[in-house]
Amino acid sequence: MIKVARYQLVTPVMFLGLPWAALAAVFAVNAAQGGGGNFRAGLAVIFLLFFVTGVQRIGRWLPFGLALGATRRSFYAGTALLGMSMSLVSGLVIAGLQAIERATGGWGLSITFFRVPYLLDGPWYATWLTSFVGLSALFVYGMWYGILNRRWGMLGLLAFIAVQVLVALAVSFACSRAGAGPLRLRPAGVYPATLTALELTGVIAALTVVCLAGGHATIRRVTV
Amino acid sequence: MEKTGRSETVREMAGLDEGTPLFAQVAERLAADIADGGLAEGERVPSTNELAAFYRINPATAAKGINVLADEGLLDKRRGIGMFVAAGARAALLARRRAGFTDRYVEPLLTEATRLGIGSDELIALIKECSNEREGVAV
Amino acid sequence: MTPVISVTGLTRRYPGQVALDDVNLTIGTGTITGLLGRNGAGKTTLLRILAGQEFPSAGSVRVFGSPPAENEKVLRRLVLVREDQEYPDFGYPDFKVSRALRAASFCYQNWDAGLASSLLEDFGLRANKAIKSLSRGQRSALGITIGLAARAEVTLFDEPYTGLDAVARQVFYDRLLAEYADFPRTVVLSTHLIDEAAALFENVVLIDRGRVVLDAAADGLRGMVTTVSGPVLAVDSFTKGRPVWERRGLGSQVSVVIVGQISGEDRERARSLGLDLTPLSLQQLVVHTSGRQVGAGSLAGRTSA
Repeated sequence: MIKVARYQLVTPVMFLGLPWAALAAVFAVNAAQGGGGNFRAGLAVIFLLFFVTGVQRIGRWLPFGLALGATRRSFYAGTALLGMSMSLVSGLVIAGLQAIERATGGWGLSITFFRVPYLLDGPWYATWLTSFVGLSALFVYGMWYGILNRRWGMLGLLAFIAVQVLVALAVSFACSRAGAGPLRLRPAGVYPATLTALELTGVIAALTVVCLAGGHATIRRVTV
Repeated sequence: MEKTGRSETVREMAGLDEGTPLFAQVAERLAADIADGGLAEGERVPSTNELAAFYRINPATAAKGINVLADEGLLDKRRGIGMFVAAGARAALLARRRAGFTDRYVEPLLTEATRLGIGSDELIALIKECSNEREGVAV
Repeated sequence: MTPVISVTGLTRRYPGQVALDDVNLTIGTGTITGLLGRNGAGKTTLLRILAGQEFPSAGSVRVFGSPPAENEKVLRRLVLVREDQEYPDFGYPDFKVSRALRAASFCYQNWDAGLASSLLEDFGLRANKAIKSLSRGQRSALGITIGLAARAEVTLFDEPYTGLDAVARQVFYDRLLAEYADFPRTVVLSTHLIDEAAALFENVVLIDRGRVVLDAAADGLRGMVTTVSGPVLAVDSFTKGRPVWERRGLGSQVSVVIVGQISGEDRERARSLGLDLTPLSLQQLVVHTSGRQVGAGSLAGRTSA
């Protein structure tokens, strides 16, 4: 497993640096626009990139990894562990930047880049936790896509997406029946009244575990 | 024969043929080397790995070739050092070649001569003529 | 000594075809074995299963006594060099040769970095070149470098020299022999350029349409099959009683392919009859037996395992 992590880090710059470089770029654009408003979607960049990295780290890196004698399960575990460690560190950095942002009154420009209402709005440790869970979830989710593509190609991906849509519809239906209010998936809209940010983080953590189990199970018979 | 001269000849002959097992060809060439005096008695014979690298063949095959000669008593094994040409090896090989001389050279010669209609008297005369020419050249 | 690789009843099915059909074979420790056969015969599938990259449909595979699939203890002592190896070179423009070598060095405890550099030099490959930009031949050179420098106890090569010219291939064969001499290991080399490599093999396994058709000592096959040509009567008299693989005639001349070693005496006899004897090379032998069960059967009975 350590071998796998070392293997993945053989190109440290791309793996570690890219998400941050992208974030810095988006931030710079925001700052250049004079700030004064929310640019919440900006932080989404790093989350998106963690997802993409998760896909690539399986999709592109698995064949050579297997060639060098890694087992599929240790490859999965090593990569997931690495991704989650990165999430932990990145989460801390985000929390740190958020604190600085608050202290400097939005970098002197009233920018609220590192503050996302409801999700990343509380004390620093809550921000850290939520970011960590969020980034991990996306990384591991991406890994699962990578695996399914390797194993069953486009058909597998479509099936996966179809299943998720069905599950989401089922859950939404069940929730509205239970009187918890309809779940709407709007980025800046109504959030489920019954879930606090922390509870939502818990849900996402649970989903992460589902992805970890699913990915681990599906990788076992992948051939490259 | 000088050392450099011998290695030159061996290199020329390095093209091994398809028709017989390689180990036998390796054994033959070593034997020829010993018979011609290129490898003196008591001299170390190339190791398995050296032969394999030279002929570009599998070392196990080279080893088999060496073992053929060792089994015939033409090579001595000295533990840890290698294989050496045994005493009397040259004489034994030359004797063997002599014994085969008739079968290998005389019979085919007669066959061909018969085919061309050359009688034994004419054949003897040809042999004498060739022999004289050679001696003439050598002098 | 127990063989390092042991395969029993191995079958691999895909929808619509059977890639390997009841394969049984063993490979001795520290030998160089040639895996021969036409394209699509099943050589690649077999090697991939040995390396744990593919799974059998039926049968058992044991490397170092255990199944290799998902088995770290086996896999870290084994390396497979494939002609179509994928590297993480898409979207990672800086995945260079040096990084691939570095990754390999973590994974193989016998890795020899000096050997790796020296091989790169031999093949004219620069360590800081991006793998993405390598030609077919250079990719093969990289694969060979990793395969040899890993110094793995079991080293498998699947047609590793695609794109390499004859000179580079000879470099590969020479380096392979040198490495084998310095650091003995079990080598299986699959190839369709048989005559070039024939002398390197201690054993050969011939696979045709998923089945093992021949499994014999390589040296024993030399001179085993011969083409006898000349006048019809002479040829027939000479070849009487021997199994015949093929017979072709033109006028009063005929050419017959027979099986069985030809002794020195027989050669003399052939010479006196005015016959021409041409031995079949290993490559020609493989061509003859591929697709013809009959041929290989008569060979198998005559060669020592």
